[in-house]
Amino acid sequence: MSEKKNFSGDYHHQHDHAHSHLPSDPELRVKALETLLLNKGLIDSETLDELIDTYENRIGPKNGAKVVAKAWVDPEYKKRLLNDATSAIRELSYQGRQGENMVVVENTPETHNVIVCTLCSCYPWPVLGIPPTWYKSDEYRSRTVREPRKVLLEFGLSLNPKVQIKVWDSTAEIRYLVLPMRPKGTENMDESGLAKLVTRNSMIGTGLPKEIK
Amino acid sequence: MSRLHDMGGRFGDGPISIPRDNDNEITKSEPTFKYEWHAKAWAITLAAGALGEWNLDVSRHYRECLPPKDYINFSYYEKWLAALTNLLIDKKLISLTELKEYVSAAENGTIKKISDNNIKLDQRTWLAKDVQKTLGWGGPSIREINISPVFNIGDKVITQNYSPNKDVNGGHTRLPKYAMGRVGVIHSYKNNHVFPDKNAHGLGENPLPLYTVEFKSSELWGELAENQNDSILLDLWEPYLNRFPN
Repeated sequence: MSEKKNFSGDYHHQHDHAHSHLPSDPELRVKALETLLLNKGLIDSETLDELIDTYENRIGPKNGAKVVAKAWVDPEYKKRLLNDATSAIRELSYQGRQGENMVVVENTPETHNVIVCTLCSCYPWPVLGIPPTWYKSDEYRSRTVREPRKVLLEFGLSLNPKVQIKVWDSTAEIRYLVLPMRPKGTENMDESGLAKLVTRNSMIGTGLPKEIK
Repeated sequence: MSRLHDMGGRFGDGPISIPRDNDNEITKSEPTFKYEWHAKAWAITLAAGALGEWNLDVSRHYRECLPPKDYINFSYYEKWLAALTNLLIDKKLISLTELKEYVSAAENGTIKKISDNNIKLDQRTWLAKDVQKTLGWGGPSIREINISPVFNIGDKVITQNYSPNKDVNGGHTRLPKYAMGRVGVIHSYKNNHVFPDKNAHGLGENPLPLYTVEFKSSELWGELAENQNDSILLDLWEPYLNRFPN
């Protein structure tokens, strides 16, 4: 017989699914839980406001775009970024939660990188913020590892069959950022101008930077 | 054997719903949170997690352990709320009686936050003044311990099959089903990281070598592979891997 401890992880059998007592309207569910936790002094409303404000207004894809643009204009920085992304990103003061161990993967004419998390929704928060809904969807999670080319087509990206696709499934605490190729015709642009061309999707691998007209 | 969250490669999911603007262009800026309750569900989950009663692996496992019917029907943040509720009860931060009381007050419109002056903050409670500091530090999973990795870059490995968690039947694991029993190559060694299969079950951090392992698409999908040159890379802990004889 197996000697495995038999707390199989299905904790909720012990107490008849506590979550089944929640209201059917999710807004009321939040209201009930939030108010209960606030009244018990277990959470603080100013902390909630600070958290939401941080990720709505301060941390997002603009951070990642600055990293990418710097790598495009500064070969030494790019080298550091590909060698030790966590430290190189910290040089721009982006660090911490869900970006503790960063890896940057470089797109080249031969290789295109795509990031996914099939098991949950792992995403590099300090450089991209909170993931968009599609990134967390069953469709993206299930299909990207098996048919990345079809998935990319849905994003309007058609890759030559000779280009190798590498799909990075974030199964541990390493967080990935794609370094897209610098668009043609941008040789005279400065870092801040270039950063405006870097889209969120180009740093996930489901898009390319904007072209200049 | 696996659970519903482990959906990589499965059949049946349709097109990805990608927001587009009026010109049918992919929208560049979606709101961070679509509804206020999404923002609140996310923020109270982070704030409750900061009480220190559970770790990231435990909270992931609670979401994965939602009954399959609920897992399928719940939207993303509904899963978060349900798992948070179960955690709060299991860790005795709230009682079922309190929960029922607040739920019925929310439903009949009598729910009330008591005035701040009358709230006694728990000493573990995450304060607004500490938010930036705590976010900036994060929760690193690397542990500086003296364990040498068994595998070298370029080694061929075969992943565990069926049930990677050796301590807990049906326990938490980060080896997806689609990559079980498959042959890959060690791409890189990523230092020693807290092992989720134990850490999710209160069995300690047990840090172990973590590798990025590269699999050919044909190894994972056979004839279904879209392009034989493509590859899929996963971050896998040493116990998920066995040496594959050359």
